[in-house]
Amino acid sequence: MMARHPSWLLTLAAIAILLFMNAPTVVVVLASFSATEYLTIPPQGWTLDWFAEVLTDDGYLRAISTSLLLASCATGLSLILGTAASYALHHRMVRGVDAILSLVMAPLVFPAVVIGVALLQYVSLLGLRGHFIILVLAHVLITLPYVVRSALSSLTGLNPQVEEAARVLGADGFTAFRLVTLPLLKPGLVAGGIFSFVTSLDNVPVTIFLLTPRQTTLPVKIFASVEHGVDPSIAAASTLMIAGTAIVLILAQRWVSFSRFF
Amino acid sequence: MRAPSTGYGLLTPVLALLVAGFLAPTAIMALLSLRTYSGMQGFGDEWTLANYIFVIGDPYYLLIIGRTLMLGLIVTAACLLLGFPLALFIQRSRPAVQTAAILLVIFPLLCNIVVRSFGWMVLLAPRGLINEALMAAGLIATPLDLMYNLTGVIIGLTQIFLPFMVLLLVPALQNIPADVEAAAFTLKSSRPRVFLTITVPLAIPGIITGSILVFVLSISALVTPRMLGGPTYKVMATQIYDEFMTNLDWPAGAALAFVLTVIALVLIWGANRVAAHFTRGFSA
Repeated sequence: MMARHPSWLLTLAAIAILLFMNAPTVVVVLASFSATEYLTIPPQGWTLDWFAEVLTDDGYLRAISTSLLLASCATGLSLILGTAASYALHHRMVRGVDAILSLVMAPLVFPAVVIGVALLQYVSLLGLRGHFIILVLAHVLITLPYVVRSALSSLTGLNPQVEEAARVLGADGFTAFRLVTLPLLKPGLVAGGIFSFVTSLDNVPVTIFLLTPRQTTLPVKIFASVEHGVDPSIAAASTLMIAGTAIVLILAQRWVSFSRFF
Repeated sequence: MRAPSTGYGLLTPVLALLVAGFLAPTAIMALLSLRTYSGMQGFGDEWTLANYIFVIGDPYYLLIIGRTLMLGLIVTAACLLLGFPLALFIQRSRPAVQTAAILLVIFPLLCNIVVRSFGWMVLLAPRGLINEALMAAGLIATPLDLMYNLTGVIIGLTQIFLPFMVLLLVPALQNIPADVEAAAFTLKSSRPRVFLTITVPLAIPGIITGSILVFVLSISALVTPRMLGGPTYKVMATQIYDEFMTNLDWPAGAALAFVLTVIALVLIWGANRVAAHFTRGFSA
């Protein structure tokens, strides 16, 4: 048996690469607490001023609430539509299952910026630009692949006889689904929902084309702000995003094990 | 037996959304990219390839397309170069170290791309951490140009897509039976030789999948090239953004968007063919 431990050279390289991978996030968090405009090493004092600035700024607050509302609506709708579709696809209730599945996954394969500009052109031609519902539907489009993939893999792991048993005992199709199948699918749906929520919250390349000058989401606002230079309040807004994502994931860990993704 | 009508009932909302919200917009953009256009009159009634000829024939656009593809190649190579040792380390480590390392790989993946690109701006800016540190150490007299050029975009994109590469390489390496390497060592093969003739070839499916994924993501990226390349150093995605948002030359933007889409789809299709050749039931 070959020795199953990495050489010191490999260990050193791995540590350096892991540092490189995590450096920008660490730097953002440090910069958001730094008392100086420019982050220095060692930092010259700490402050919470930048957070106060962000959390009292109307623009940032509106961006944060738009982001959360958009991600919640898109995830909810995506879960309902995606679960229904996955159920029909899993049971091969229609013809052309593979073609439909490819179509559902297509927005994941297409460059996001292309979907963004295609939607911009389409929505402008229809005169619907700026409606919140358009943003929600666009986000459903890009989050649906995660929900469907997650729901399908949960359905595959399910014993079909459980639902059949409920049917034999007199439950109609929907009742059997609601009382038996749905609770069994819950871990998969929670996982898909979290992925969908984070994807929606993070999205810039599609969202940016559909916003009107009066609307913005948090990542789009950060993206637009850096055009005016590096500013510690952008770091504070970014740190809030990192914290938000971390909280969602920690809460989620109570329901699902993340090993299912990898 | 379930009635097909129930199936269509369950699928209708999703299908309606995909047809009205994805197929129709793409089809309409494809049609409009083939129409004449002038800033004054809008879209004309005649069919033309002029927008594509303009995009593929113009030296400026060609420069941007070439630059984007080169960027994709460099970032892919950098991700392989950094990802392979890290994946190897993870594969050869104790379970506890493995878990910690994988968490450190996943953590940046969960952070927003805008946030990570901003982190690089803090590090790479003329008055950023790296330049300040190098100047304080007396190694350089004037700040290095690390941002708003190719260097910045390469660094940012490599960091952003490296997790995908590592997460695809680790299972590829774990699928290599330990016996095969052990057998080679028993036969007195040297470490580098085992690595080059056994480990790397057996990890080829993972290497191909990871490389194509990173390449496609890199050439389609909008946020990082915009933030670290600035408004002047342009790649295809940022040029498309400008055509639609600033220049308002939609047909040229649409033509460029389809050139990008075709490159991406052909590569993904090709990768699926190659991967299917190596493995069964591949899904990416």
